[in-house]
Amino acid sequence: MARDIQEHVSQYTETHQDEVMMQPKLKTKVRATDREIGEVSKVIVDPLSHEISHIVVSMNGSGERQVAMTFVQSVTDNLVELRAAAGDILELPPFKRDDFVTTHEVEIAHLEERVHVMPGEVLVPFPELEKSVKRRTFFMNFTHVIGFLIGLPIAFPVLRYLMKPMYSPFDNGWLKIGNVSKIKHDDIGVQFKYKRKVKEAYMPEAEIEKNVWVLKVTPAVLEKVYQGKDMEFKDAFGKTVWTNKKDFPFVAFSGKCPHLGCGYKWRQHKVLGQVFLCPCHLSIYDASGKVLDGPAPRALDSLPIKVSATGEVEIIDMEFKAGTKTQIRII
Amino acid sequence: MQQTPSSSTELSALEKVIAFVDERVGLKTIQAKMLNEPVPGGSRWAYVFGSILLFIFIMQAVTGILLMFYYVPTADHAFASTQYIIHEVDYGWFLLSYHFWGSTAMVVCVFAHMSQVFLWGAYKSPRELIWLVGLALFGIVMGFGFTGYLLPWDQRAYWATTVGVEIMDKTPVIGDFMARFLKGGAIPGQMTLSRFFVVHVMILPAALMGLAGLHIFLFRAAGPAGPFRGTPEEIKAKTDYFFPRQIWKDIVGMITVFFTICALAFWEPVVLLEEATPDPGDYHPEPEWYFLFLFQLLRLKMFGGEFGQFLGAIALPGAFMALLAALPFIDKDPERNIFKRPIALIGWIVVMAMILLFTVAAIINREFLD
Repeated sequence: MARDIQEHVSQYTETHQDEVMMQPKLKTKVRATDREIGEVSKVIVDPLSHEISHIVVSMNGSGERQVAMTFVQSVTDNLVELRAAAGDILELPPFKRDDFVTTHEVEIAHLEERVHVMPGEVLVPFPELEKSVKRRTFFMNFTHVIGFLIGLPIAFPVLRYLMKPMYSPFDNGWLKIGNVSKIKHDDIGVQFKYKRKVKEAYMPEAEIEKNVWVLKVTPAVLEKVYQGKDMEFKDAFGKTVWTNKKDFPFVAFSGKCPHLGCGYKWRQHKVLGQVFLCPCHLSIYDASGKVLDGPAPRALDSLPIKVSATGEVEIIDMEFKAGTKTQIRII
Repeated sequence: MQQTPSSSTELSALEKVIAFVDERVGLKTIQAKMLNEPVPGGSRWAYVFGSILLFIFIMQAVTGILLMFYYVPTADHAFASTQYIIHEVDYGWFLLSYHFWGSTAMVVCVFAHMSQVFLWGAYKSPRELIWLVGLALFGIVMGFGFTGYLLPWDQRAYWATTVGVEIMDKTPVIGDFMARFLKGGAIPGQMTLSRFFVVHVMILPAALMGLAGLHIFLFRAAGPAGPFRGTPEEIKAKTDYFFPRQIWKDIVGMITVFFTICALAFWEPVVLLEEATPDPGDYHPEPEWYFLFLFQLLRLKMFGGEFGQFLGAIALPGAFMALLAALPFIDKDPERNIFKRPIALIGWIVVMAMILLFTVAAIINREFLD
């Protein structure tokens, strides 16, 4: 049989080389030399020449056979005539669908323009080298593993690279912010603006403006601030850096609203009298820093304060995380 | 099948070039595929927002790139370089203001686009993935607004970022890390500016381009949903291609948006406040208008305190977004007519009314602060 086909091929190439045959349409009847044997169920296209190389004949219930175009005598709109007998075609091995992929599954440029057999399946042979590849799933997974092996070692360095400035030690230095002579009345919030030098990474040293609220408080208010206990301030390691004595009449509040970090003001309130009011989310605090109204989760943050004999006020510029019930120091 | 002209005798030079490229690339097929998309039930004004968003994004990219010719993302020069763009560079004020109002237009059109898709029931099967990618794009647009706000480095910028990042900090477990990661430290500074700049001009545009491409790809794969009423025959009778009627409507929408943004840029150009510093002075911090409702929401006492804040700032918006994401999987009823989906209609009205209510409340509240 194989020799027969080989003969046909050489015969075909000799005699029909220049003849351009119409492309066999799908679903057309196929007739062998002796009788009708079925219909065209698929066509197979050569991926390089873009020519139809085989037709697949559905053999009226006897399976499918792959028939080379060299076997085809003639093609018309509704009939494909073969140059072999029905018996010879039946002897061909059954068509193996798994050896092929559809044209939708491969990327072959301009193929649609060359093949006019639609509708139906237009097939392209699976390359010979591909057929011998047994462990496709293994290779697929192995590719993923290699991808991971590339990504994994750089993930940690990249993370560390980006995290570099995130955590810095606390600065517990004292800052001079002004003179107590500015404070004329007890229990009144007085804003002390000060400039603070910052040196960030590669940037030149810069000055940023900040503020704290300092009050000279009456013993009643003082009691509300300290609740009878000295207030300790700690560094990052939990070591005490300063203690505000419970009977020291000056208190300093961080200018940062403990609700969400805005800057609050000392204002006259219609009902509550003179209060600290944050214009952002309308938290209201009294002179001792206690929350009177609004969404704030805790009282204003007291800062370490000392006042020299000449009345110079010094503070440690601490900031605490906003929005938490307890104080969490961040700088 | 596309036939390429074989005889070139009557072709002009330009036609020859086009034919040359077409033969190799299939240009005409691509063009035909892009324009010949059947729109079930025909073109509609309601469908213009997607195209308009793409147009706005392109304009934001163009104006954004132009701004980068002068803008310097450092804490000591960001403010000065922005002032330079506004006051010294020819038409700098216009390009910056266009970019600013363009972002507002983007948010407005995103709301319109999402509302249209929601009301038309177009998120339903088989368009779930388009909806999900759309939600991601919504997040990216919000991210653009948030990160872009900081770049001029004025007081408005500084405080919006301070409060915004504090809100993010309220996320359980990872909040502190996220906030520090974004700020590049404990408080806003140069590192924050650098990070926001990279996110604004590199990461988000890349993400938006990729996801918008995916959005359109998925949209083309599923096909337009069409109107929510009418028999298949009626819809078929009215069907036309994307070109010319829908493109005409889109282009009218684009030029309307373009002139509106130009007019706003002209009459309400961007004016900077004082340079950013941790002392707010007399400035009352406030976010951009589309975050105002959230800002006002957080003033409520029920969203006060540590837990309340988590509820209002993280849990509520998070749950809302999760609900939107789950929507096509919960709402499996194929009915798309909004007048036969009472829960959806009432839900949409309530959400819009709440946003409006809280936004107006925030604006009214301004007067009581001075």
